Amino acid sequence: MHNIWLIAKREYTERIRTKGFIIATVLIPTLMGGGIFAATMLASHSKTASHIAIVTTQPQPATDLKHELESGKDTTMTVDIVPSSPGISATLDRQMESKQLDGYLVIHQDSPSQQATYDFTPRSSADIATSSAVKEGLHDVVAREYLAQRGASASDIDTFMHPVEVNIVGKGGKKGDSRASFLVAYILFFLMYMVVLMYGMNVARSIIEEKTSRIFEVLLATIKPSELLAGKIIGVGAVGLTQVGVWMIAAAALAARAGAMSGVTISATQAIFFIVYFVLGYALYSSVAAALGAMTNSEQELQQLNMFLMMPLFFCMLMLGPLISNSNSTLSRIVSQIPFCAPLLMNFRISLSMPQPWEIALSIALILVTIFAVLWVSSRIYRVGILMYGKKPNLPEILRWLKYS
Amino acid sequence: MPIVELQNIRKVYDTKVAVEGLTLTIEPGTMFGLLGPNGSGKTSSIRMMIGMTVPDSGSVQLFGKPFARNLLHRVGYLPEERGLYKKMKVLDQLIFLGQLHGLDEATARKRSLDWCERMEITEAIEKKTEELSKGMQQKIQFIAALLHEPDLIIMDEPFSGLDPVNAELLMDTLVALRAEGKAILFSTHRMDQVEKLCDSIALISRGRLLLSGSMREIKSKYPRNRLQVVFSGDDTFLRHAGIVEFKNYSGIAEIQLHSEAEAQQILAEAIANGTHINRFEVMEPTLEEIFIENVRASFGDAEAGGRVDA
Repeated sequence: MHNIWLIAKREYTERIRTKGFIIATVLIPTLMGGGIFAATMLASHSKTASHIAIVTTQPQPATDLKHELESGKDTTMTVDIVPSSPGISATLDRQMESKQLDGYLVIHQDSPSQQATYDFTPRSSADIATSSAVKEGLHDVVAREYLAQRGASASDIDTFMHPVEVNIVGKGGKKGDSRASFLVAYILFFLMYMVVLMYGMNVARSIIEEKTSRIFEVLLATIKPSELLAGKIIGVGAVGLTQVGVWMIAAAALAARAGAMSGVTISATQAIFFIVYFVLGYALYSSVAAALGAMTNSEQELQQLNMFLMMPLFFCMLMLGPLISNSNSTLSRIVSQIPFCAPLLMNFRISLSMPQPWEIALSIALILVTIFAVLWVSSRIYRVGILMYGKKPNLPEILRWLKYS
Repeated sequence: MPIVELQNIRKVYDTKVAVEGLTLTIEPGTMFGLLGPNGSGKTSSIRMMIGMTVPDSGSVQLFGKPFARNLLHRVGYLPEERGLYKKMKVLDQLIFLGQLHGLDEATARKRSLDWCERMEITEAIEKKTEELSKGMQQKIQFIAALLHEPDLIIMDEPFSGLDPVNAELLMDTLVALRAEGKAILFSTHRMDQVEKLCDSIALISRGRLLLSGSMREIKSKYPRNRLQVVFSGDDTFLRHAGIVEFKNYSGIAEIQLHSEAEAQQILAEAIANGTHINRFEVMEPTLEEIFIENVRASFGDAEAGGRVDA
């Protein structure tokens, strides 16, 4: 035990001192916070503020439209009403050219009783926001006018035109936002994906480093390979936990400030399950990575075997679709029990909607059993592999290693 | 009580026999040379001695007891493939390795500083390993193997890559440790070092023991039939009938005789011919000659020569 502690301690203290660790620990929350902050800022300033002109012969729908577009719910546009005259389009075209106008609307209507046609010329056809604001505004104005003509009172029209709002209410009766909870689930999924892969690979890299520097020979003269492997996995894992811990604290601090604005919050339950599944997922993937590291002699060779780590993670990503459409379907329940996927997918389900307690317990039990099985195999590969230099072993050779005493 | 006792150990990797029926004993207070061509099973034998691998059959005893991992705290090992953590500071590294050998941090720190002073590398203490020269790194590993004051010191090629000054420093240290009663096992290809330092040797080739015993015993088995003559002038004495073969390096002749008795006749003949003799020495074969002869024989006539250093 003492040796495992020494190895883990060295691994931990050497790693958290590296520049890479410090940069990643500070940079990710900064970027995350910056991103959320920027998104919130953009969302609040996304009202269309274009400058358009309305060309018309009749004053009526134009004035209402001007009012609607200048002080509507989602628009703060500047609207000029220009009486129709020959050659007006040319004048307006010139104004658009000199960027004074963002577009103009021509209303063709000879008498109030006649059906009107509307032609909108935007400066840029890519300016969807302005076009759709004009369209929605027109629809609103024309509907109001029609209702008024049929004798409806102003208050009736307001009631009729009032948009229906649906509040998404969570279990505790709190108002939630389904968009935000998806966002949180996604963020946690990719964070998990990233840290499990990154720290799994770190274990493999650290083994290769010791192998290429030949320090193994010295270490193995006093301690058992299994102690070395255990110490390494614990040490690197502790670094990962430290990093995730720092990120979680940063996220909590962010949620307290910007989160309220954007509606993105990570609950304590989500954070706890994230850490539990991170530890399990990391232990599983790093055990596999340890075997890969012991089999290879260089980073380049490791890259070729990377897919053994990537494939299950990639499969998890493919499964996101079915999980989102129905997180309690049979398919979702089955894939989230596969030990190599459970850390990502069960955690994703937890972030979306809490699965049955027995499902969580079963997935944790399955992962634990798999970890022990994988550790048994990889510690054997590790024990022999770390003393083998030179040629990359083939599969029959690796299978023979399992039998060595 | 012998420090190391290997009884008939055998190790096979797949189809390759690494070590076959090796038996050897190392006594305390001796310097033991483990010799053999490359790939002969030296490193495999050492690895079994310190439990890195387990022999397929045979027994390993350390300090008079069957092998157990806790005995490893009394063993210091300098592997042939040198390795240190590149990014770690020298002192941290030494303390870490000392702790792995069962020292507490304070003792490990104190001994590291003392040893660095003794090995004349105090300026390296605060540096990272990757900033140091190869020779310095080797000295640090040398220290790491000795920090816990082991009773058995195993060194694989300890002097390779060192300049003569540093090699001598290490040699003197090893001699001092032997005087303290430690047993030292080292393997090397440098036969002159072995002749100078070792009390006993074992020569292995292709996993088998070819000869072993004290240096005196081994040498006495061979006749004193080597002759070295430093001369000037006439060299017709080299064609004397008692000479098996000779090499003449412009005035220094190395001669192999049929028997020791013929040496005096050759000297008489040379003087009679008017050759000026500066030095005339009858010798045992050198360890190098014994090494080459035995290893060649072990590979058999068919493969002789080429495979020796392969």
